[in-house]
Amino acid sequence: MTITTTVAIRRLAAFGLAAVTLAACNNRRVTRVDPASVTDLSGRWNDVDSKLVANTLIDQTFAGPWSAQYASAHGGTPPTVIVGSFRNRTLEHVPIGMFVKDLERAYVNSGRVRLVASRDERTEVRDEREDQQTNASAEARARIGKENGANYMLQGDVQAIEDAEGREKVVFYQIDAFLVDLESNQKVWIGQHKIKKYIDRRRIGW
Amino acid sequence: MHTSLKATLLLGAGVVLAGCNGPRRIRERPIMTNGDRTASQERMVANAAADGVADNAMLMQTRDSVYAKAVATCRGSICASVVKGEISLGMTPSQAMAATRTAPAAWTIRESGAATVMVPRVLGNSPKDATGEVVMVQFDDDRVNAVSYRETQGIRVVSSAADTTTDGRATAMADALIREGDQFNAAGDRARALDRYDRALALKRADPMLEYKVATMLDLQLRPVEAQIRYQRFLQSLEIERIRAQGDANAQLADAIARAQQRLIVLERQAPAPQAAPQPTPQTTPPPPTTPPPTPPPTREPGQTR
Repeated sequence: MTITTTVAIRRLAAFGLAAVTLAACNNRRVTRVDPASVTDLSGRWNDVDSKLVANTLIDQTFAGPWSAQYASAHGGTPPTVIVGSFRNRTLEHVPIGMFVKDLERAYVNSGRVRLVASRDERTEVRDEREDQQTNASAEARARIGKENGANYMLQGDVQAIEDAEGREKVVFYQIDAFLVDLESNQKVWIGQHKIKKYIDRRRIGW
Repeated sequence: MHTSLKATLLLGAGVVLAGCNGPRRIRERPIMTNGDRTASQERMVANAAADGVADNAMLMQTRDSVYAKAVATCRGSICASVVKGEISLGMTPSQAMAATRTAPAAWTIRESGAATVMVPRVLGNSPKDATGEVVMVQFDDDRVNAVSYRETQGIRVVSSAADTTTDGRATAMADALIREGDQFNAAGDRARALDRYDRALALKRADPMLEYKVATMLDLQLRPVEAQIRYQRFLQSLEIERIRAQGDANAQLADAIARAQQRLIVLERQAPAPQAAPQPTPQTTPPPPTTPPPTPPPTREPGQTR
C-alpha cells in the first residue's frame, strides 16, 4: 500500500465519520398525533390536564339544576353568564384560558346558557360601537344601550400541592369553578376537578 | 479488634435498617397512561344540547297552554295586565302565571279551603312580572287578593288598587326607607338615617314631616346652613293657620313647627343667612361650616339671676 493510498483512505474515513456525525445531529422528527391522545413528558401541566378539567366541568355544569331552574322561573329564557376572573394560584404556568374557552364553547353550543363578552372582550366591542355612531350609516349602526346583562358570573381558581422525595414527585391539582348570582351573590353551581400525578424520574429505564 | 468489628457491623446494620424505615408506599395503579384517549367534548355538548332542547320544548308547551287558558278566561283590564306582564288583583292562578310568563313548574302551590298561596319553587330564582320579583301571590276564591314583591328595602305587599299604581309603589318604598331611617336614628347612626330620609324624600316630595326629619338630622350633624334651609322649607310647606285651627289632631305637627321655628331663630343668630336660596338636593356635599367659633359662656356674678 503506497503512502498516497493510505492518505486517501484516511481522508475518506475522516469524511465518512464527519458525515455520520452530521447525520446523527439531524435527529428531529415531527409527527401529527390525535389531540385526544395522552402524551405526558415532563409531568408538568399539559393539554391532557386541560382537557380533563374542561370535560369534567362541562359535565358537572350541565348536570346541575341551575340553568333549568332559571329557565323555568323565567319563561324558558336561558340564563346569561359572564366569565369573570379565573386565577392560577400554583407556581406553574397553567393556561387557564384553554379550559375556560372549552367551557364557554360548551355553554354556547348547548343552547342552555347564553354567554356575554367578558370585561376585556367587550372593551373592543364598545369602541367599535362608539365608532359606528359617528361613521356608520343610520340603518347599519349598532344601537347603544342594548347590551344583554349577565345573571351569573363564572369564577374559579387552580391550586396545587407538590410533594417530592429524591427522584419521585407527586403533584396534586384542584380546580374549582363556581357561578355566582350577580344580584344576590349566591353561588348557584360549584364544579370541581382533582388531578393527582406521580412523577418518577428514573436514571435508567425502558 | 474482633469485638470492635462486630460492633461496627451491628451499628452499620442498625443505620441501614433505620434508613429503610421510610413512609410505607402503596403503588397505586395508574388511571391514565401515555397512549390513552381523553373523552370527546363534542359528544358531551351534543347530549347537553339535546337535553336542553327537550326540556325547553316541554316548558314552552306547558307555558303556552297556561297562557292560552289565561287569555281565554280574561276580560278587560285583566287581559291588558296579562299582555303587559303584570300581576293584578282579581287574576286567576293561570292568569298570574301567564303574567309572569311561567309554567306551574316554577311555583309551589298550597291550597287551604278557599285560600291558595303560590310561592316560587326556588327562592333564588323568583319569577318576575313587569313590576318586580314576585315572592308570593295569595288568592281568595281563585282570585288574586295580595301580591308580595321583593324590593331593595324589603317585601312590598300589594293588596289594594292604590298599591298597584306608580305612586302607590313610590309611597311604599318611601315608607320602608323612613322606617329604616328611624331605626338608624334610634341606633345613633345619624349619617345613615339622613341618607335614608333623603332617599325617601326623592320618592315622597310632599311630606312636611319627612322634611322636618331631614332638617333635624342636619341640625344634629352640625350642618346649620342646610338645616336652616330645610326648616324653612318645612314651614313653607305647611298651611300653618289651618293646622293651628285643627288643634290636637295635629299636635305632633304643631310641636314640630314650634321646634323648627325655635331652631331657625337660633341658627339665624349663629350664622349669616345664605345669599341666594339654593335648591338643596339630596346627597349633596355639605358646605364648609359657617358656624362661628364657640364663645366662652358669659361669666356670672355670684348671686346674679337670669
